[in-house]
Amino acid sequence: MRRLRLTFFSLVLGFVVVVSHGAETLPPKPSAYFNDYAGLIPAASARALDSRLAQFERETSNQIVVVVFPRMESKSSVEDYTVRIAQNWGVGQKGRNNGAVLFAFMAERQLRIEAGYGLEGALPDAICLAIITNELAPRFRAGDFAGGFDAAITGMIAATRGEYRGTGRIAGDRSPSGTARSRQQSLPPWMVIVLFLAFVVASHFLKRLNPRSSRYGGGRGWSSGTGWSSGGGGGGGGFSGGGGSFGGGGASGKW
Amino acid sequence: MLMKKTFIILGILGVLGVFALIAVVAAVGSYNGLVNLQQGVDAQWAQVQNVFQRRADLIPNLVNTVAGAANFEKSTLTAITEARASVGKVTLDPTKAPIDAAQLAEFERAQGSLGSALSRLLVVSERYPDLKATGNFATLQAQLEGSENRIAVERGRFNDTALAYNAAIKRVPAVFYAAMFGFKERPYFAAAPAAQNAPEVKFDFSAKP
Repeated sequence: MRRLRLTFFSLVLGFVVVVSHGAETLPPKPSAYFNDYAGLIPAASARALDSRLAQFERETSNQIVVVVFPRMESKSSVEDYTVRIAQNWGVGQKGRNNGAVLFAFMAERQLRIEAGYGLEGALPDAICLAIITNELAPRFRAGDFAGGFDAAITGMIAATRGEYRGTGRIAGDRSPSGTARSRQQSLPPWMVIVLFLAFVVASHFLKRLNPRSSRYGGGRGWSSGTGWSSGGGGGGGGFSGGGGSFGGGGASGKW
Repeated sequence: MLMKKTFIILGILGVLGVFALIAVVAAVGSYNGLVNLQQGVDAQWAQVQNVFQRRADLIPNLVNTVAGAANFEKSTLTAITEARASVGKVTLDPTKAPIDAAQLAEFERAQGSLGSALSRLLVVSERYPDLKATGNFATLQAQLEGSENRIAVERGRFNDTALAYNAAIKRVPAVFYAAMFGFKERPYFAAAPAAQNAPEVKFDFSAKP
């Protein structure tokens, strides 16, 4: 009987095996639209740009994120690295894929705009290149970083404004548990039911075989220890990726 | 005594029945999982075809713009036109990822020669400052670079989805029946073709070839 139990448990374990594949550690999802990790521009200007981008999402549902890194933490090419970050952050709404991310890597003097699938029409590569070479690079060369970001954001907003209608809300307004739940993978419900039934039937018969043993008495059920922990503060209002996808559209440039 | 024996037999039969049920349910789940993975590979293949087509669509415009430039090197343009024609000859089903590795290699070879012809064009165009100064060419160059980047992204994702699928059909429950239901292994794109096709940049300002 012990062997039977072992087989049963290993069978159950086999279902729950989670396949994980190693990857380069990407920067964590930001909680703001404008993220200055290099301490480049004054906090007040950063907040102003941030609220402008939040407002833009309310109006159009387009998510534009700006992120400034001190240096590039990858040996890969900037295009490859940034598309993986943008995809991982899920900038843009699911289904619309209307996200765009402007990256600046200070040590490399490298700029990159990633346009999501849904914005490739409104923000084609040539426009991205024009924003980088005409708006950002000259101002950055002159040391006017806040002005450069302001002009670039203006350009990106102007290009993408007509593309989608907003809902007056941002993805960050949703309850955090709702988004966490959809990301978590779990056993399909029917599998849970079958396993539960199998356990009940098995324990019933085992109890019949040896009525004195209380080991298989009803007390031990399957308690799923995977409670949904809602990390982060509630209330929302900050940036939260809507699940948009990226396919490598955009342009790169240096200053 | 007889009663107890019957119970034992019934119990064992019941447990076996439950295991059989679990096995069937697991097999169905595993089969459905394989179908999903296979669909994922095919969808990603469509995406790959899409970005290659995007690059091919740029070519007429690019060739026209470049040909308009004063005495532009004809050999470069011919190479591009020929490479595009050879790409057109390798037609694969856009809705279904190839199963034959040789077929994919052939497709990749044709696309690779087009890619290197195009990057050669960009290198050669450096010698024509008038051409580079036109806005039209700058736009085309950005589009071309964007296309190359999209190709890199989508073929990388194709390899990822194909890897997940190939691993799934070789894992234990599926490996026994994957071949029976026609789940065949899907070939990958060769790794890092860009590195092999990188254009050779020569700093030779003295004479034109």
